[in-house]
Parts: sequence; C-alpha cells; structure tokens
Amino acid sequence: MAETARSLDGEVASGIAETGAEGRTRPRPGEWVVVGIALAYAILLLFAPLAALARGALSRGVRAFFDALSTPDALSAIKLTFLLALGATAINTVFGVAAAWLLVRDRRFPGRRFVNGMVDLPFAVSPVIAGFMLIVLFGRTGWLAPLARAAGVKVLFAFPGMLIATTFISLPFVIREIMPLLGEIGEEEENAAYTLGAGRWRAFWSVTLPGIRSGLEYGVLLTFARAVGEVGAVLVVSGSIVGLTETATLFIFRALDERNAVAGYAMAMLLALSSFVLLTAMEWIRRRARSR
Amino acid sequence: MSIILTDLVKRYAGEAVVDNVSLEVRDGEFFVLLGESGSGKSTILRMIAGLAVPDEGSIVLNGRDVTRLPPQNRNTGFVFQNYSLFRHMTVAENVEFGLRVHKVPRAERAAKRDDLLALVGLAGFGRRYPRQLSGGQQQRVAVARALAFSPSVLLLDEPFGALDVKIRGQLRRALRRIQKSMKITTILVTHDQEEAFELADRIGVIERGHLLEVAAPAELYRAPKSELVASFVGDANLVATPSAGGKISIGELEIPLPDEAGARERAGSWAVLFRPEDLVAAASREALAAPVLGEGTVEDIREKGASRQLLVRLDPLPGVWPLKREYGEAGLALLVLLPSEREASVPAIGQKTWVGARDYHLLPRLPWRLLLLVDDTARSAYAAALCEKVAVTAGARLTVLGGAGQETSPPVVKLRESLPASDLRISLAEGGLTQRALAELERVGYDLVFLPGAFGSEQERLRGGRKGKADERVESGEIAVQCPVPMLVAQGEPRETRRVLLCTAAGEPGKLDVLLGAQLARSLGARVTLLHVEHADPRWGPPPEEGPGETTATRRARAWIERHLEQGLRTLRGQGVVAESRIRYGEPLSEILAEVTEGDHDMIVVGAHRERTYLDAPERDLVAGLVHRADRPVLIVKGKVER
Repeated sequence: MAETARSLDGEVASGIAETGAEGRTRPRPGEWVVVGIALAYAILLLFAPLAALARGALSRGVRAFFDALSTPDALSAIKLTFLLALGATAINTVFGVAAAWLLVRDRRFPGRRFVNGMVDLPFAVSPVIAGFMLIVLFGRTGWLAPLARAAGVKVLFAFPGMLIATTFISLPFVIREIMPLLGEIGEEEENAAYTLGAGRWRAFWSVTLPGIRSGLEYGVLLTFARAVGEVGAVLVVSGSIVGLTETATLFIFRALDERNAVAGYAMAMLLALSSFVLLTAMEWIRRRARSR
Repeated sequence: MSIILTDLVKRYAGEAVVDNVSLEVRDGEFFVLLGESGSGKSTILRMIAGLAVPDEGSIVLNGRDVTRLPPQNRNTGFVFQNYSLFRHMTVAENVEFGLRVHKVPRAERAAKRDDLLALVGLAGFGRRYPRQLSGGQQQRVAVARALAFSPSVLLLDEPFGALDVKIRGQLRRALRRIQKSMKITTILVTHDQEEAFELADRIGVIERGHLLEVAAPAELYRAPKSELVASFVGDANLVATPSAGGKISIGELEIPLPDEAGARERAGSWAVLFRPEDLVAAASREALAAPVLGEGTVEDIREKGASRQLLVRLDPLPGVWPLKREYGEAGLALLVLLPSEREASVPAIGQKTWVGARDYHLLPRLPWRLLLLVDDTARSAYAAALCEKVAVTAGARLTVLGGAGQETSPPVVKLRESLPASDLRISLAEGGLTQRALAELERVGYDLVFLPGAFGSEQERLRGGRKGKADERVESGEIAVQCPVPMLVAQGEPRETRRVLLCTAAGEPGKLDVLLGAQLARSLGARVTLLHVEHADPRWGPPPEEGPGETTATRRARAWIERHLEQGLRTLRGQGVVAESRIRYGEPLSEILAEVTEGDHDMIVVGAHRERTYLDAPERDLVAGLVHRADRPVLIVKGKVER
C-alpha cells in the first residue's frame, strides 16, 4: 500500500518535471507562430518608427543634427519643456502624496468618493479640452481672470498657463501609483512609530515615505514623461510663440510644417531618447521593488 | 497603581465595543486580558496606548491622566499583533527607532540596542532586515523595539497569535523572564487560556466589551464569581438546584449556603461548579470515598496523557438540572477527570459508574435582569406595573427601553420612584424601538422581558392610531419571534395578580416553566394552580374515572401525570409558593381557557417549545392561541432559560 503511494508520487513528480523542461527548451510549432506575431508587432509599431526617426535625424550627418538642436529657438523650446515638466512633476508629487494620503487614510472626509472619482478626470478628458477649460477660466472674461489680473500674473500665452495645463494632464499618476501602496502598508507601522514617540511628521518621513518609495518614484517618472510629451493642452493655452512659449513638441510641429525635416527629426530623437532613459529608470525601480 | 482605567467606553457605529470597563493594574504586574475575538480587549489596549480615543472614561498611567494625550506622549511600549516592524529598516534600526526619536546619543543607543537584542536572544542579528527573520524572531525584535526607550508600561496585542505552538511556549517563557527582570507593568491581550494562565499574575476576563471578572489565575479557575467565567475558563460542570432549609442538595452532597446570603437569595436556586478533577468515578458507591452525586453511564473517554477524561451521563436527579442544556437529553452530563495510573478502576464506554464530588464551588447568585419595553399604550402601563412589582420584590436589575416622549409618562416616573437608581437603567430614544429592543436582547442576557400585548383584535384597534408613530410602538409580535428569553406579555384589563395558572400541557420543556413560574408567582405574591391538560378527543366520552373500571393504559397514564404534577408541586412548594394541581381532559387550548374562567386566574404561564414564537399566527400553536384569546397576561417560557 505504502509502496504504491510512493511510486504514484514519483510518477506525478517526474511528469511535472518533464513537461516543465519541455516547455522551456523546445517550443512547439504553434508557439513559434505566436512568438513570430508578437515580434512582428513590436518591430512594426515600435522599432520601425524609431529607426525611421534616427535615419531622418542623421540623414545630413551628425553635425547637422547638433546644429539643428542648438539654434536659439530649439534651445529655448528644450529649456521650456523641461522646466514645465519639472514644475508639473514637483507640484504633482507634493499634492499627489497629500491627496493619496487623504483618500486612503481619512475615510470620513466628506466627498471622499467624489474626489476619488475626479482624480482620473485628466485621463478621461482630451488634453485639448483641458486647455480650452483654462482659456474659459483665464480668458479676457474668464472667472479667474480678475484674480490673475489683480495678482499681476499673465496666465494665458505664458508660462503659468502652460504649467497649469501640464500639471492638470499629468495629475493622476502619482496619486494612482501610491494609493495601493499606502493601503497595503496600512497604518500599523505608523502607529508603531507613534507609540515609540515619533510625531506625525517624523513617522511620515521615516516610516510611510520609505514604504511608498518605489511607487512614488515610479509615479514621478510617469508624470515627468507625460509632461514632456504633452502637446494638446499646451498648444491651446500657449499660443506657441517662437522662442517664448514654444515647447519641444510644438517645435517639432512647426519644423515639420516649415519642411525643416532635420530639425523636426532631431528634436523628436532627443525626446525619444529622454523617454528611453526614463523607461529604463522605471524598469530598474520596478525590479528593485520586486526584489524586496 | 501603574494603569488605572475608569469607566472606559468605546463605541463603533453606536455599538459599545468596550462598555464601562474599570481596571487597576499594579506596578510591575503582568496582567492578561482574556477574551474571544471581538470582545473588545484589543480596543482597550489601543486606548491605553492612545491609538484609539475613548468615548467616555479616563486612563491614568503612573499617576498621569493621559486620556487626551496623543500616543507619542504616553511612553507606552506596544507590541502589535502582526509585529509591524519597519520593513525597510534593519533590526538594529528598528530597535533604535524610539531612542533616535528621543535624540539619545549614538553610543548610548548602540549599547542599549545590543543589550536588548541580547536580552531577546537575537545578538548579532542587527544587520538583518525583518523579512529575513522567522515569525518568532520578528516577534522578539518587536518586543525589543517596544522596550528600547524604557516605557512605563508594556502592552502586547496577541503577540503569539501567528506562531506555532512550540515556539509560542519558548517565547512565553522568554517574555515572562524579561518582564520579571525589568519589573515592567505589562498588559497582554489574548484569546488563549493556556497562555493567560501561564503568564498572568492576574487575569481579566472580558466578553462583549464587559470586564466580567478580575482575579489571579488559580482563583479564577477555582472560585469564579459567575457562570459565564466558570464556563469560559477551563472545563466546567455547572448544575443548578433550588435551595431548601439553608442548604442545597445534589445527590448525597449537601452544600450549606453562605451566611451572608439574604433571605431572598436563600429561597432561590443556586448554581454549583464542579471542575472535572473535583469529581471521582468508581464502580461502587463505597469505592468513591467522596459524597455521592449519583449513578450514570460512561458515554465517552478522552485520553489526555497524564490524565483521562470521562463523560458520564448521570441518571436524572430530582430538582437538579444542568446549566448548559442539551436538547432531548435527560440527566446530567458530567466531565470527570481521573489520573491515568488508576488503570484498573476505569470503566469502559457504556458501563455504569458511580460519581462522587470531592470538591465544589458555589457560585454567587446574580440578581435577576429584567427588560421592560414601554410605549404610550395602556398595555404598557400594565406591563410596567407588573414589572415594577417583580423588580421590587425580587431585587432585580431593570432596563427600560422606550420612545423619546416617555420621560414624563406615569410608568417611567413611577419606576424611578420605586426602584433604586443603581438597579434601574432607562434608555429613551427617538424611533426604532423594536430594533433597539432586539439589539439589547442580543447584547445582554436578560432573564425576563416585559412586553405590552397588542395582538388580534387589540392590534386591529391600534392600527388606526399607529400611523407615523409605528417606530415608537413596541411591536411585540416582531420581538416575540426572535426573543431568546422568557417574556411576559401584558394584556387584558389590569388586575391584581392573585392566582397564576401554570400550564404544563402538550409537552413543553416542563421544569423550566415551573421554576420560572414559581419565581414570578412568589415575587407577585400569587398562588399557583399547576394544570395538566391531557389531550383527549371529546367524542371519546367522559374522562376516565378512577376505580375498578379503569383500563391498565389509562391507569398508567394517570399515574405518570400524577407523578409529574407531584414533582411540580414539590418544586413550587420548595420555592415557597402555595400551589395546587388540576388535570383536565380535552383540547388543550379550550381547556386552558375554560380553566382560566372557572378558576378566575389572573395570569397564565406556558412553555414555548419552539425556538421562534409567532404570536401573530394563533392557528399555528397553543402559545399564540392563548395570547390571542386569553385576555390575561401570558408568561411565555422559552426553552433556553437557564435559571
């Protein structure tokens, strides 16, 4: 009786081992087809455009590539783009953490569900409409126009408006990335810190923040990437004034319009490269988080 | 006193999870709060640490009122159920956290950390992360972390809950050693009795937010003050029996009542606790060498290593009943613990054996707990009057639930006058009276509920006036369905209660309704007629007569009935009630109604043998029929009564 059981066990175990080994080393013909389709898909949609972009940017040589990026217009566009992205990321990081904290921890605050739903609005609304809303708000007869005028700040067709637009469209990332983490680590570690004498601020810095760090970093990078690539909302509120309110994406737009292919490609290449760096960083963060 | 809790109350969503808990923990004491999950014990601990805010009451730690202080300023060491170590910090950083927060210099910090890690047996583990440790090791880090900044009290919330049994034992001993060496006042919360008994200097038993009893482990086990604690802690054989002549008797065991018991208590019934090791079993009376309880049959044997436990079902003893009732079983089921070496004398399953008691513990009697529901109907006033009389004469504790407008109503005012404030709790609130009543019944074990009756024609009449105020009316039908305890439905014209009709017809639980009926009749000063209705078809002709013409079958039936009534009368008279018996033949409901009219009875007592009582369906059973047609107060005795 005992022997049968043992031999049965052995059979089952070896069966599993075999199929496992087979699955890893020798894919069946059907699997080749699936792998092929996936590869073709990736090449066609991801790598072909990138290759074409690189070819276009370098068609007149490396020199022309750098020349195209060092014109005053191009430099101003690059500077503006990264300034906007940095500003929007900073704002969304601080307020995103606060908002996520409120949404996860304070179950009683009125309108919690409403706010939770509204957080995703920037994803649901077209960026062009987001820009348009700012026009309505800050335009000549807009609701907030008197306020801006009193403060002496020019919002539309200037940096502040563009910053608001960029912040708006990249708002959900940080909140959505850290909310599940906040929920997962729970309050008990913070409570432990409190009983050990730590104040709220101390508990947040030494306990909560390290706990949500990976999510926060990931959210920050996503926010930054999204802010760099934004066209629609910024286009509407900036007026795209060359050398003043023209961002990198708008620069590409104009360059292609003016048949200045090299400048367009070069700027596009630069953005693509920065995206690539960001993606790599994100992947690294994700791996590190998983290894913990 | 290191920790003083006074009248602590904590409510979640209106429900009191901690209800008026007062407790004093001495300096250096290891105190264990023992209770089942959801009993509120963790909430108490969290309130002491400041992680939960009490709704009422105060917390004093080492002479300082900390009730309103945040957890940071209380200096308590807290060990969480899931340890809650800081997972991104090393073990050393975890332990040092409290010191770092309090700006202790680095060298001192390191020294203290090494001391603590050595104390919990984790020297050299400082560089590891919590995830690299086993559950038991994490737990010890949590203890070290909690002790780092020399807290004034140590609080542990089910610290061994997630660990396997063997490690639990080791950690318990380690914790006890550390606690004693540091002389730190400690409260530990657990649901594990073994843990509580092994660790505690004193144990507090908590159930549903109430602190039932506080005592040293041995005292809690040997001499608990309530049935609840007796059955919660360890194995308990609990039996109850009425007293007679200043003592109670169970088999040949006679227990004198304590001198301090008043006349009222002396007359009632008492509960006796036998721990399994208090009992002995033997093949003959003579071999017992202890007062004999009775003879019984061995139903089960459990080997426990050093001892063996028998389950013996004792043949029924007159006037003695178990406090834990099993439906459909006669006699007392007793657990008897025998040392293993007495191999030869152990009876086998199914064999007869004698059981004796070497020791016992007489439980103090608790006052009756009554619940009265009042609304603005005339029946309420009747219910209140009956209730008041019972409460005053029986020295009962009374809770009154009513609508918001009842504050100045005559019944409430009168109750306030006639009962001491300590025995009276009045809760009047807007709406939802039925729900409140059911919740109250769910929460507190009442002995008897007084309801205003409103059924059948009565209900029809009221329905017109019910509009808009239904929430403040007592819906007795609704309550009766779910009410787990006996209820007295006040109905009919209010009258002095002189004669009580106690019906033992149609196979309801029997002894319980007799006992409760007796207690009620005694407190109302009424005499009792014990009625047995033998179900008989009127077409069978006149009831059989005693004499030579009687058949064997009817003679046997009559003998059985008479014995039954004789026992009932003995019980009633034993409780000091004037009683007589009657036998009627026919359809039970109409016979009872006829007896009520003929004998001019003022109240009817009847047993309900169903768990749910549908008073709105008179066709369904006898009890509902009585309530609808009798026009007298009816005491419905449910099977769950244990007193």
